[in-house]
Amino acid sequence: MRFPSREDRMFFYMLLPFAGVVFIVFVLLFEVLIQNSVPVLLREGLKFLTSSAWRPSEVSPDQEFYGILSPLVGTLYSSLIALILALPTSIALAIFINDYTPPQLRDHVTGLVDLMAGLPTVLYGLWGAFVLAPILKTYIMTPLSLYLGFVPVFGCRPITGFTVFTAGTVLSVMILPFMTSMIRESLASIPRTYREAVYSLGATRYEASRMLVSMTKPAVMAATLLGFGRAAGETIAVSMTIGNSFGLPLCMFEPSYTISSLIANQFANAGFYHYMTSALYAAGLFLLATGLLLNSAGVYMLVKWRRTYRR
Amino acid sequence: MSYAVEVENLRVRIGGFEVLRDLTFKVPENTIFTVMGPSGSGKSTLLRVINRLIDLIPEAEVSGRVVVLGRDVFKADPYRLRTRIGMVFQTPNPFPHLSIYENVALGPKLNGLVKSKKELDNLVRWALEKAMLWEEVKDKLDVPPLGLSGGQQQRLCIARALAMRPELLLLDEPTANVDPINARKIEDVLISFRREGGVTIMMVTHSPPQASRVSDYIAFIYMGQLVEVGPADQVFVNPRNKLTERFLRGEVS
Amino acid sequence: MRDVSSRREAERLSLVRRIKDKLFLVILVVLSMAAFLPLFHIVASILYYGGWTLLRGGLSFLVDTPPSPLSSNLGGIGPALVGSAVLVFLTVILGLPLSFMAAVFTVEYPNTLVARVTKLVCRSFTEIPTVLIGVLSYTLVVIPMGRFSALAGAVALAIVMVPYSYTYMEESLASIPRTYREAAYSLGLTRPRAVFSVFTRIARRGILTGVLIGLAKAAGETAPLLFTIGGLRHAYFNGPDHPVGAIPLLIYEFALTPYRVYREVAWGAALVLIAIYLVIFVVLRRTVREVRM
Repeated sequence: MRFPSREDRMFFYMLLPFAGVVFIVFVLLFEVLIQNSVPVLLREGLKFLTSSAWRPSEVSPDQEFYGILSPLVGTLYSSLIALILALPTSIALAIFINDYTPPQLRDHVTGLVDLMAGLPTVLYGLWGAFVLAPILKTYIMTPLSLYLGFVPVFGCRPITGFTVFTAGTVLSVMILPFMTSMIRESLASIPRTYREAVYSLGATRYEASRMLVSMTKPAVMAATLLGFGRAAGETIAVSMTIGNSFGLPLCMFEPSYTISSLIANQFANAGFYHYMTSALYAAGLFLLATGLLLNSAGVYMLVKWRRTYRR
Repeated sequence: MSYAVEVENLRVRIGGFEVLRDLTFKVPENTIFTVMGPSGSGKSTLLRVINRLIDLIPEAEVSGRVVVLGRDVFKADPYRLRTRIGMVFQTPNPFPHLSIYENVALGPKLNGLVKSKKELDNLVRWALEKAMLWEEVKDKLDVPPLGLSGGQQQRLCIARALAMRPELLLLDEPTANVDPINARKIEDVLISFRREGGVTIMMVTHSPPQASRVSDYIAFIYMGQLVEVGPADQVFVNPRNKLTERFLRGEVS
Repeated sequence: MRDVSSRREAERLSLVRRIKDKLFLVILVVLSMAAFLPLFHIVASILYYGGWTLLRGGLSFLVDTPPSPLSSNLGGIGPALVGSAVLVFLTVILGLPLSFMAAVFTVEYPNTLVARVTKLVCRSFTEIPTVLIGVLSYTLVVIPMGRFSALAGAVALAIVMVPYSYTYMEESLASIPRTYREAAYSLGLTRPRAVFSVFTRIARRGILTGVLIGLAKAAGETAPLLFTIGGLRHAYFNGPDHPVGAIPLLIYEFALTPYRVYREVAWGAALVLIAIYLVIFVVLRRTVREVRM
């Protein structure tokens, strides 16, 4: 690289380490996770992902076996519930803020959304565990299991309030503001002339809103992917509400584990066993890889979408 | 003579700024009525009052009386009103996520104008033919309009408006973002469409030559005020106002 | 004429469409209210339960050490409060120069590989589960040091914070109009002088926002602290290389215990935490219209 002056060169080399550190930390994260996952992955291979057995053993390392299928399913299950609840709500809220809120109020409402997005997660967890869980158990989960119990996903009575469903509901509350902001921004970025065109064709507000949302479909899908990624990666609030127990629940009123809540709960005492620490690093690696994949897919869609309208 | 649009003492303020000041004029049925004036003179706002798209600008304050197709627009249901009025915009804005066919079919579908797929096909073809676009797109009706040139996109937007079988067609500088050849094509579309009757066309432009080529009547607006209105020949040949004369000579912009 | 046109209108805007339109509005309002309901419920719950705790504990709740599990004495969250303050301080010291300098680098030398990678990494880092960052700091700081420490927690929090503050700083530095840049250089300023004495001042709002986001993250995050700070409960602070407590971690740990008095303390701590968060948030909203966290 050529620099116009000596100061410029010095400035460059002075700043370089700071930017470099960011990159190095990123590489280190992968390095640490990969290096420490090797033992368990070499020993178990693909079974690590496909087995639901989680068998620590004090007797001998040979008897230990760790498979993350069950927390994997728990992660997917709770995140899916979160998405099903959050997606329609965030679309509705985005339309409401954009098209139905008076301009003077709009700033305050988006302020509330941002406030929700940044609220410390442990507060969501605390509320979910002690306030929401009992309410859901009495008024939603128990009645659903009584009256719609023939549907497999509702097919069990909740024993405590700490279930996949509760965790999914708390997660939906947490990803909602994030998804709302993304969808609202993309709705607002549609040039006004398209809005005018729909209305000039005699569309009602409902028809116009439907049209505009379908124009932002790639952005909505990006919000869905990124929301899913956030839900899958959330640790604290899930760990406080999902019940933290192994199993492959079909019914959403059973407790379960997610990968991140598994790490949160087991990492501290994993050192007592020979392979468990490695298994948790590997679980983390898997979480990181899928998370980044989802994230880049989402970002890619968003970028592609923006190109359609920025002509 | 009956009138498609009657405007009386229309005033529009947007955010404290007077966009239109005390406009009064009438648009005879089945004619091409052109509103002419330099950019920023409030012409586009005027069109948006007629089909109540002005509602989308919440800070706009409107007063006066506007009767469109026999209805007082401020008392009428805007959604019903718009089903009888087509509009074409300054920038070509076909919906990029719909196919060419779906773009034209959108209005008829929303408003239940057709009973069968066959009828819809015919209507779409009719509208595209009227817009002189059919030959160019008949083999790619199912692809999105992004591959079309700007001029083709604008004619697609005209077809989209025509497919609603409007009684009144509003055009907001339809050729401003279009190459000269396509601009002439669009003018031809308007003239041929008017000849068939049954529709009143109200166009906004800042170009006197274009106004002279297509119009039956001309209104000249300057800084939100109506300077002159009358039959096209009279306004062009014998303008009553000095300002109009200067604008026609290209001295005001 | 009027007869014909009114029939056409009726045809075009049928009753079904009008009902759908009204129904849509109803659904929109209901869902939008449902979206905000949890926020108000959370705030109300924390005010209610936490309010009782604070009333019972009084001001000494903020300074005392936590109770023993079965005591009837409420105790307080003093050590955690001190720990959180220490963590915020250390995190900002570690994270701020890093994000600011990295932001300056990407804006001043945007076409270098390092700049592009930094930008990309920071964008994806905001989506990385924070518990993994705790694991990273555990592996790189706690294990070599041989014990949990405030420093390990601050390292983890700084890694969480940097991408957020970096993004705000980078955006505000990059959005400085070119004329200001030209003006600065035309005065004969060298690049470092131009950056530190001109551009930084123009972009101060964005930089301040970056600082505040960092504060909010450092004060509110829990997961990065799980395996790093050791959750010291009964002593206040023994130095950055020793374990500390933190309010979010205390809430998490106490909420998971079966003891009544611990849960009371957790609610009280939640009230303190939300108060801290709200103060930071209100200041944030004054500096920037849209807050992304």
